[in-house]
Amino acid sequence: VAALSVRNLLSLLILLPAAGALIIALLPRSADKLGKLLGLTVSAAVFLLSLSLVRDFQPIAEMQFGESVSWLPAYGISYKLGIDGLSLWLVMLTTFLTPLCLLGSWSSIERRVKEFNVFMLLLETGMLGVFCALDLFLFYIFWEAMLIPMYFLIGIWGHDNRIYAAVKFFLYTMFGSVLMLVAFLVLYRVTGTSSFDIQVLTRTTIDPAVQDWLFLACALAFAIKVPMWPFHTWLPDAHVEAPTAGSVILAGVLLKMGGYGFLRLAIPLFPHAAQRFAWLLGALAVIGIIYGALVSLVQPDLKKLVAYSSVSHLGFVMLGIAAFSTTSIVGSVYQMLNHGISTGALFFMVGMLYERRHTRLISEFGGLKGVLPWFSATFLMIVLSSAAVPGFNGFVGEFLILVGSWRFSNELVVLASLGVILAAAYLLWMVQRVLYGEVTNPKNQALPDLSARELLILAPLLALALVMGVASRYFTKTIEPSIAALVQQVEARRPAQRPAGARRAASEDSRGVAEK
Amino acid sequence: VTLLELTPVMPALIVAITGVLVLLAQAFTPKGRASPSVPLSLAGLVAAVSVVMSTLSGPRRGMVLAGAVAADDFALFLQLLILGVGLLAVLLAPAYLRAAGLDRGEYYALLLFSLVGMLGLVSTLELISLFVALEIMSVALYAMAGLRRGQIESQESALKYFVTGAFSSAFFLYGVALLYGLSGSTSLAQISRTVASGFASGPMLVLGMGLLLIGFGFKVASVPFHMWAPDVYEGAPTPVTALMAAGVKAAAFGALLRVFAGALASAAHEWQPALAALAVLSMVIGNLGALAQTSLKRMLAYSSIAHAGYVLTAFVARPEAATSAVLFYLVGYAAVNLGGFGAIAALAKGGREPITFSDLSGLGERRPALAAALTVFLISLTGVPISAGFVGKFYLFGAAVNAGYVSLAIVGVLMSVVSAYYYLGVVVAMYMKEPSLQDDWPPLPYGAAVALLAAVAVTLGLGVYPGPLLDFARLAAASLARL
Repeated sequence: VAALSVRNLLSLLILLPAAGALIIALLPRSADKLGKLLGLTVSAAVFLLSLSLVRDFQPIAEMQFGESVSWLPAYGISYKLGIDGLSLWLVMLTTFLTPLCLLGSWSSIERRVKEFNVFMLLLETGMLGVFCALDLFLFYIFWEAMLIPMYFLIGIWGHDNRIYAAVKFFLYTMFGSVLMLVAFLVLYRVTGTSSFDIQVLTRTTIDPAVQDWLFLACALAFAIKVPMWPFHTWLPDAHVEAPTAGSVILAGVLLKMGGYGFLRLAIPLFPHAAQRFAWLLGALAVIGIIYGALVSLVQPDLKKLVAYSSVSHLGFVMLGIAAFSTTSIVGSVYQMLNHGISTGALFFMVGMLYERRHTRLISEFGGLKGVLPWFSATFLMIVLSSAAVPGFNGFVGEFLILVGSWRFSNELVVLASLGVILAAAYLLWMVQRVLYGEVTNPKNQALPDLSARELLILAPLLALALVMGVASRYFTKTIEPSIAALVQQVEARRPAQRPAGARRAASEDSRGVAEK
Repeated sequence: VTLLELTPVMPALIVAITGVLVLLAQAFTPKGRASPSVPLSLAGLVAAVSVVMSTLSGPRRGMVLAGAVAADDFALFLQLLILGVGLLAVLLAPAYLRAAGLDRGEYYALLLFSLVGMLGLVSTLELISLFVALEIMSVALYAMAGLRRGQIESQESALKYFVTGAFSSAFFLYGVALLYGLSGSTSLAQISRTVASGFASGPMLVLGMGLLLIGFGFKVASVPFHMWAPDVYEGAPTPVTALMAAGVKAAAFGALLRVFAGALASAAHEWQPALAALAVLSMVIGNLGALAQTSLKRMLAYSSIAHAGYVLTAFVARPEAATSAVLFYLVGYAAVNLGGFGAIAALAKGGREPITFSDLSGLGERRPALAAALTVFLISLTGVPISAGFVGKFYLFGAAVNAGYVSLAIVGVLMSVVSAYYYLGVVVAMYMKEPSLQDDWPPLPYGAAVALLAAVAVTLGLGVYPGPLLDFARLAAASLARL
């Protein structure tokens, strides 16, 4: 199978979940069990297939596993796919998390199980499509199409306020996206390339005055998706109301699309404007770091706490992207993966607590360490990874970001470092209140510890958090060449006279990540 | 005149004869027996489709009859669309009409007659025959709107449609008269030459074009000529509403393209700002109006006003770009509207049909296939991929942006976000609300199932693989320019 599929591997990965979804949708209404099994099988097969991407990926800057079929020649639109160091691990994160989510929902989703699997698989198709698309039109189709399954996941299987959260999620994201669509149309017109090919368009030069507007339109779409402060207000609602699997995918993959969009589209297409607005991105990122951390500190609800911690964590990602040095961007990409793993695991564990107690209020818990020893040990480790303790994955990402951003702005890095301390504060305080102390609530006295299925979900996540913490070089060496090429390409297309700070940041790139 | 020379009017002729046959069959069917209206209508429409197809692939493509009726690619494109709309409108009707106690031949005969008007409207090259076609279409529709005689809403619908229709016809005729006065002819070719020569210009031309535009504005339901639409759409029997939303809009936009993007192209700088203004008004008022609705059919009526606005945005582009974008959009839009209204009609039982959003509560669980189909239509109306609506809007707004009207596109996409709110309201009811008490939905009739499946196939098919239809639309647009 591997030998056969090599030529169109990406298409296979993208279409397999959709085909699975179609088959499940056509099953008779009573076949919930079969649908569940089929969903898990298909997503696991996609993951196994995607492993051959890692096996065959060359640590070079070029696009790999490329495919291109002319689609709408009149508009220069093609079905063009490919991945590089920026997208490889995001693709892997998607194929890795989806089967875990389906496994995690095995018993918690009781109503309309068949439809749940359909939407999860469609979502996977959309997410993989976004990371693989190399044509603006194709990218936009996947980007928007992804909204629909997520909307249903929140709206059907969510909690009490699910309809409000689902509609808010949909409208908020669509609002950002449609302006980006207009920007794409204008881009098509002003470049005169008669092409929607991202690689062609990133080589054109666009009038700086036009760039500013186009960049802002795209940046809005991506900033909402990240989400950057002050565009984050949809996130807590969506996260809190979504079912566990929805939260995991939302945090694990969907939030990465904002950062990915900046790196794949907004910055390389509009290098000049990106430079002009870098300070704005950096400042909003740091505000997000501090704001997210402070709000997390006072959350009484576990899921909300984790949701706001995402705002803070993704602030780091955006700071690294705004700084735009090879080191900081590698850190950002790394941090996106870390966040997918750690926060994904945290949402899983909050969901497990909720399944046991039907509450997520921190004050309802306490002393779980004695009752749920396995759960508590895993939870603590995941929290340490999320708090970027050395030895865990989070440390590598945040360290690279802070080091790589130093030349961009010392002040912002100092402020961002405060966020690291605050993260430790809100996470450890939460751990203290949930795991330690006496069992004050009698309902907590006889809870079952992790089941085999739950262990099966958490073990790979925890293992990855540790592996990515100690063997980071294995991952960064595939990420780095593409990022270095990206930085070089963007710098080359920026005007020669640059502010001193930016020039220093650029010269630092030449030394690259290799030193670390 | 030989039979072959009649090629341009042949489809309309076949449909008209079928209409007469349907009436006769009804008259000669003994009481208590069902008359063969449906098979007759379907046969007639299929015959007309095959005539159009053979013209398209044969030597008579592009033929003109007496300088007044053309079988050019533009006409053939829209005729295929209109005949397709007719086929689906026939398939959707029987169960609904039976439930409403209207199961007689009139519906089918009137439907066929209104199709005759639409077919003429898109193929004529002459303003008087254009006016006649407009009236043939409208008169049949006035009667259809009032088919449910027992219901006050249906009567209101017919009366309102008739009064505003007559009113708009008067504007239209005044416009024709002024253009005739300028060019000495009602032939579009002659008018086009006169306008292009610069001989006809100034206030008389502007006034003539403006009056024509008002006439068309009523037919396509663009703001500020839209007031009739919500009441008429709501009161008319649902399959008739589907025909109005899909067929009338396609035919009227076809004629609008023929006259403005075709004959009056050289005066584009005069009428484009007016159409841009109508586009903005329609998009804004249509969408805001729809936001406030709780009735499904009224919501879809306001949405059809908004969609008239989206279509009008493309008119600011070069005529060819505008024409191909509009033609493509009309196909997807027709499928979606037939599907949407068809789904509502399919849920009718004993003269009662789902009226408000909440009447659809729980449909996703009770009738998953129908709910899924309706969801596809709503997604397409919103303009989210993967659907004909997305690709269509992409071309419409792309045409506007290419013409430098970026602000029009921005209004369009922002209003699409507004529209997501009310379209999603239906999805919320179907999937996220508990089933209502009244959920004894009737089984899906066979004909309606076929029609809905076809509409879903077109909606999704054009979303995934729009290339071939777009190529055809470009050919049609090119033929329009060769007037």
